[in-house]
Amino acid sequence: MSLQQILLVLKREYMTRIRSKAFILATVLIPLGMIALFGVGIGIGMWDSDTQRSIGIVDQTEVIYPRLEKIAPERYADYSDISMDSLRSLVQNEKIDGYVLLDQDHISGESNLEFISGGSGGISLQQSIKSDLRETIRNERLARANVSDDVQKIYESSITLEIRKLTKTGKETDDDTGFLTIVGFIMGIIIFGSISGYGGLITRSVIEEKTNRIIEVIASSVKPIELLLGKMAGIGALALTQMTIWITTLVGLAAAAGPIAEMLLSPDTTQKMAEAGKAAQAAQTPPGMDPAMFSIPTIEPSLIIYFAIFFLLGYLLYSSLFAALGSAVDSEADTQQYMIPIMIPIFIGYLIMFRTMENPDGMLSVVGSLIPFCTPIVMISRIAITDVPFWQIGLSILLMIGTFAGTMWLSAKIYSVGILSYGQSASWKELMKWIKE
Amino acid sequence: MAVIEVQNINKSFGDTQAVRDVSFEVPSGRIFGLLGPNGAGKTTAIRIINHILIADSGSVSINGHPVSSKTQSMIGYMPEERGLYKKMKVGEQLIYLAQLKGLSHAEAKKKTRYWLDRFEATDWYYKEVGELSKGMSQKIQFIATIVHDPDIYIFDEPFSGLDPINSEMLKDIVLELREEGNTVLFSTHRMEQVEQMCDDICLFNKGRAVLKGNLRDIKQKFGKNTINIEFEGDASFLDKLDSVRINNRSTNFAEIRVLNGQDMQDILKTAMSHAEIYKFERVEPSLTEIFISTVGEDNINPNELA
Repeated sequence: MSLQQILLVLKREYMTRIRSKAFILATVLIPLGMIALFGVGIGIGMWDSDTQRSIGIVDQTEVIYPRLEKIAPERYADYSDISMDSLRSLVQNEKIDGYVLLDQDHISGESNLEFISGGSGGISLQQSIKSDLRETIRNERLARANVSDDVQKIYESSITLEIRKLTKTGKETDDDTGFLTIVGFIMGIIIFGSISGYGGLITRSVIEEKTNRIIEVIASSVKPIELLLGKMAGIGALALTQMTIWITTLVGLAAAAGPIAEMLLSPDTTQKMAEAGKAAQAAQTPPGMDPAMFSIPTIEPSLIIYFAIFFLLGYLLYSSLFAALGSAVDSEADTQQYMIPIMIPIFIGYLIMFRTMENPDGMLSVVGSLIPFCTPIVMISRIAITDVPFWQIGLSILLMIGTFAGTMWLSAKIYSVGILSYGQSASWKELMKWIKE
Repeated sequence: MAVIEVQNINKSFGDTQAVRDVSFEVPSGRIFGLLGPNGAGKTTAIRIINHILIADSGSVSINGHPVSSKTQSMIGYMPEERGLYKKMKVGEQLIYLAQLKGLSHAEAKKKTRYWLDRFEATDWYYKEVGELSKGMSQKIQFIATIVHDPDIYIFDEPFSGLDPINSEMLKDIVLELREEGNTVLFSTHRMEQVEQMCDDICLFNKGRAVLKGNLRDIKQKFGKNTINIEFEGDASFLDKLDSVRINNRSTNFAEIRVLNGQDMQDILKTAMSHAEIYKFERVEPSLTEIFISTVGEDNINPNELA
């Protein structure tokens, strides 16, 4: 193997691609696309919460409705004066979303409440009604039972749980699990996305050389393994470049955002904005979610190093397979049947990652993070979210290196035969024969 | 001295044996033709010489060195399946290919400029290959083959797919390369090209080298046992002749190979009694005829010989 040849191939792969319009466009558009996607997601959420539901209340007790009105005046309307038939037709004509009949038996607990629904609203509406009714009826019962103010206060009080994390150095810090879960999720997604994205690029690059028929000219100068390694390294370097551009921009923007905002806004408006922000936060933050959870804690450098390691190992492992895939087929249209077995483990890793976000130390997450084909996605999420024992990290890295040696050997075999076979895509049987040769 | 020495090479792909026990030598400073029908094993042999494939057994040496990455750079190779990176610029691409053959960047650039000038293609340096016409990219392909200035040239079916102008140009290049003392090996299934250009030949059939040597010697060895006849009139007499094989037959011409020492005068008499004879000539057999009589009529698919 000649390093000089590998470097020549690497340089060509890198230089021709980095200047291409496709690369420049992807570098700009992918982050914009992701921001747009986030924006749409948030937009949908906000638009959704605005939906008004109106529930008719026929209150024969005359005490529950005033309580309901206090909790959610926009949701409940008093229909006590209307006949049952016209109430029913209001529901049928979708003028209201449903109604509830309240009488003394419900307060005394002798019969169950019934919500007659027009069918709209879904589970979230049903749950809101249930909790509103539970609260109002409970309060009414408490009032009637004549309990002391102290007891009533006990019922009204809510409990907040503040979470503090004790670090190894003995310091107590604000818990940042929420933030780190998001970081782990984003890192997992990035690895998932780049393995499939750059893997596809390698496949296309190999197929391109076959369909252009330049491969034999190249093969008369370069060993297949040199070509394969040069290609993997070249596109890997491209991936790193793109990643560096994104991260640098992100860090730059984050660092510049504060001062720029301060410069643009006069102190007066800043203050107003801050007040408005606080008010908005108070209004919008759902109960149980502490806004401090999303203040920006620092990301440890070790996490970034692990990210780089698992990104690199994952890329190497899969890129060799994607290259072999490209050499085995005759045109891009034929890649499907081979793409599936390669994509399945990536997707399994991706799915396990969602479980990892909730339970990073669970059996599934631990096992998933040790299976080399899922490791890069699952392990990085775990490392971000929780304290992973070092032996697990070490073992997963060793397993990945071992597996990479295996896939590289396999791929080199398939690649060296595949690039010179034209005419039709290889069958699985032929692939086995190439490997045995 | 033999520049390329092939000794007893074998190569199988699964159950099919593409090359069986093939040996030949390509002498220095000559044009060597590798011929035979499609699927006879020519391309496999050429790939083994280029160290793209490795022979199952046997040995190949180039200028006395066993084939390796090092011998690859001594050869300028134009494969049958040829192409270039479509989205790369002509200049860059030629420099890259020359560098892969071991030239430094500066040398590669100099040679690229030189050859583009010689082919009157200086302006193409910054053009993408995809923008070029077919004929233009064929020229670039030649340059890619010869840019690193090797002394051995191997062309696999060089004339297939070439337009007439480039075909003529390639023929001139091949002859010129020999004049400069280089060695050229090319493969073809078109016999007339071999007759026009080759000094030595090796005939392939079904993976074996069935006949090899100097083209003149081979032809002489077969003797003047063939008749070229031009006539006008009823051609049906040709079918009545015994112990002959008729190649290249058309309405008023036939190449008649005389078998079993039949008297040529008898053939002339028969011909005269049926048609008017314009020309009757005893000649050496054509390569097509030599090929057929070597491998036997039953062993070839005549459609594969042009």
